[in-house]
Amino acid sequence: MTMSNWSAVKRPIPVPNDLTRAFWDGARRGELLFQRCHTCGNRQHPPAPTCTNCVSTDLGFEPVEGRGTIYAYTVMFHSGDRRFADAIPYASVIVELDDAPGALIAGNLLGVPYTEAHIGRRVRVVFEPLNDEITLPQFELDQ
Amino acid sequence: MAWEHRFSVAVSGIGMSAITRSAEKPLAALALEAVQRAVADSGLQMDDINGLATYAELPAAGHTIIDGLSIVSVNAMMTMLKLPNLRWHLQNETVNIGGAVQTATNALIAGVCDYVVVWRALHNPTGIYTAPPASHVGGPQQFTAPYGFSGIVQSLAAEYARYLERHGQSREKMAALAIAQRKHANLTPEAYFHDTPLTRDDYLNSRMIAYPFCLFDCDIPVQGAMAMVLTRTDRARELRPKPALLAGYGQRIKVEVGGRIASVADYMAAGSSSSNLTWERAGLGPQDVDVAQIYDGFAGSTIYGIESYGFAKEGEALDFVQDGNVEIGGGLPINTFGGSLSAGRLHGIWHIAEAAMQVSGRAGAHQVPGAKIGFAGASGANINATTFVFADEPY
Repeated sequence: MTMSNWSAVKRPIPVPNDLTRAFWDGARRGELLFQRCHTCGNRQHPPAPTCTNCVSTDLGFEPVEGRGTIYAYTVMFHSGDRRFADAIPYASVIVELDDAPGALIAGNLLGVPYTEAHIGRRVRVVFEPLNDEITLPQFELDQ
Repeated sequence: MAWEHRFSVAVSGIGMSAITRSAEKPLAALALEAVQRAVADSGLQMDDINGLATYAELPAAGHTIIDGLSIVSVNAMMTMLKLPNLRWHLQNETVNIGGAVQTATNALIAGVCDYVVVWRALHNPTGIYTAPPASHVGGPQQFTAPYGFSGIVQSLAAEYARYLERHGQSREKMAALAIAQRKHANLTPEAYFHDTPLTRDDYLNSRMIAYPFCLFDCDIPVQGAMAMVLTRTDRARELRPKPALLAGYGQRIKVEVGGRIASVADYMAAGSSSSNLTWERAGLGPQDVDVAQIYDGFAGSTIYGIESYGFAKEGEALDFVQDGNVEIGGGLPINTFGGSLSAGRLHGIWHIAEAAMQVSGRAGAHQVPGAKIGFAGASGANINATTFVFADEPY
């Protein structure tokens, strides 16, 4: 049995702020929005006050396609955070999207055994509602 | 061009408290004991001390901070010591204890004080070391904690998984480093695991924490304190211990965009920037080093340090540590006191102190014979790199 059981996990709930509200509003609608610099075109995530490439402050949020590769991952075996104990072992991944090179977004690898997590595997975004306000971007293999 | 202040500051006395797993005494009492022992080791009187420096952070998230119990601030130390001649003090917020040692060096060079004590006191909280994130998370954690990236171990484990797969390496090779360090701890009376051996089977059969990190890739949290006296070299030569001369230092924190999530991107940047400054200032290079102390909060940090400091090529550190090469008697002995993995998590000060003790010839049973040039990387090479070269005499 290598499928992680997420059904009883109580995830910490993100609290949007002035920098991140547009991201979470987009996720609730099923859209993945990254910051895009209106000066140099750089796409970045997590949201930052300035462009991480050219330091412009002229930034907006635009949809990204949500397909990319696993950039890094870990499989968690330690149950120090009891809220995740039922899912252990589970894969947490860091993904680089095709249309936002250099920007990294975290997620869990859902729908397949945790042993499928490897650097370079193709993944695509899926959305997991936590409550009426917050929907999490997540990832599954793009097969 | 080598640094004009090369060899002008030295480490003199070193002292430490007992290293235990739990708080039998308040942390302030352990810090005081370490400071008193360092001053006595120098042969100084406490009233001679006119500079104080520490990095006080409790590197464990989610615990209430109580000065004297969970940290020992400069204020707490001043209150205990009542130094009549105090002229300078520092409690830095970045670059860890290495930053305190480096800034104390600057103060000594500037002539604003003569004898500085630098200490680091580490508390081991009851229960879980890094408390889980709250039920609601703002700030950078809102993009990591919902996915179970609940502590630093998972971020660093993800970085290490990327390292292994990019470089075609296997995690089993890390056994050699863990065993080398445990052998060194077995030679170090103060080390937490002084009396406990570690075999290859122990390592390979240990439980996984966050893949690819197993239990023995993680340091051992302890309660304890360590202190060292720094002074200008002319004064150090009049004191009891043979001084360890500071030949050069460097520092660099990693640029982290949006918190830890992005810190997986380049494990070489901070360590190479920091050590390049140190090599230039010291006027030598990694090939000249006799013994190296490379921070090991998690074992991966030592691997990154071996590469980013220039001791091995990128992607080859796990091969470098094989076949006894980093054991005492090997090509480059590393973490000769046992490191944080086997001696205890004193968060970098022990690495600096051991580098100094080795070139002073004062390391006892874990002395590397004839060590003249000692290197220390006192914090995670991939995150927060402070680097040092010590020498027994000017060269």
